[in-house]
Amino acid sequence: MTAAPTYAGGVDTSESHEVEGSVATRTDDPWVTIVWNDPVNLMSYVTRVFQEYFVMPRQEAESRMREVHERGRSVLSTGSREQMEVDVQAMHGYGLWATLQRSGE
Amino acid sequence: MRGFRDVGGLAVASLDEEERLVIARIVADVGAMLGGDGFGDEHPGARPEREELADALAFLERADESPREPDDPALLRLLPTAAPTDADVSEEFRRLTEGDLRDLKIARLRRMWAQLSTGEGRWEVGPAEVMPTAAALTDVRLVVASRLGLDSEEDAQALHNDLAAAAAAIQSGEAADGALAGTSEADAERLWLGMLYDALTWLQESLVSLNLGGLDD
Repeated sequence: MTAAPTYAGGVDTSESHEVEGSVATRTDDPWVTIVWNDPVNLMSYVTRVFQEYFVMPRQEAESRMREVHERGRSVLSTGSREQMEVDVQAMHGYGLWATLQRSGE
Repeated sequence: MRGFRDVGGLAVASLDEEERLVIARIVADVGAMLGGDGFGDEHPGARPEREELADALAFLERADESPREPDDPALLRLLPTAAPTDADVSEEFRRLTEGDLRDLKIARLRRMWAQLSTGEGRWEVGPAEVMPTAAALTDVRLVVASRLGLDSEEDAQALHNDLAAAAAAIQSGEAADGALAGTSEADAERLWLGMLYDALTWLQESLVSLNLGGLDD
């Protein structure tokens, strides 16, 4: 799979997420947020979630949704562990199945 | 039942009384499952003072409680494990986010329940509530799907086929007294839940595809 673009610059952080001071040891390894396919979520809904949360144009959101649907998963964002925790929490808020991990794992 | 239409900038669906009650009931069930107290109260404003006090003090309980992975697969789907290969990351994520996630989901389900409880079968959703309502519908569908054992696209297709066969049987008059001949109680339950799931899916699709809420391109 090719490297995924980062959308952190466009992420809406207006909702407060308590991630500060969460852990003592952190590395600088970039982390990734992965959204996984599931048989429940609607294509139209997933597209709108990507548009709304990652501030993507509709076409881009649709192509990421198709990647999730057809390949089973897609990397939606890349960054620090704290940022990925915010993104994964947001995806869980929307009912999408998302995980975080170190990139390259 | 009539799916959501754009009526002067509002998303409006129509439900008959039975449909409204069935959907409100499952919304309340999912809210209760997430820990929403007093959910489904026909008069949400008139809760006993004692419960309000308990709510106000709930943070005390939460403070020294480290939430664990839910045993119920449906609840686990609403509050998933964030890093399946890293127990420490998952545990910390759950500790930091689970309370907020539950609160968010409960609040949205309450708003949807309120929408369903007013308007006499006219289900109105304003543009700003389209995505929160779609997200609440997702949570309800995830729970129903988990109860139905829909873990793969194949499971979903199998359910779809069973529902189509049942509908065809009903149409051709094979089903007397509302029960399909040779249908066990478990099958009947599955068909009933499956029909509910289909209806919720159809409602959500009609809501999302209206594109209300200013997200076009």
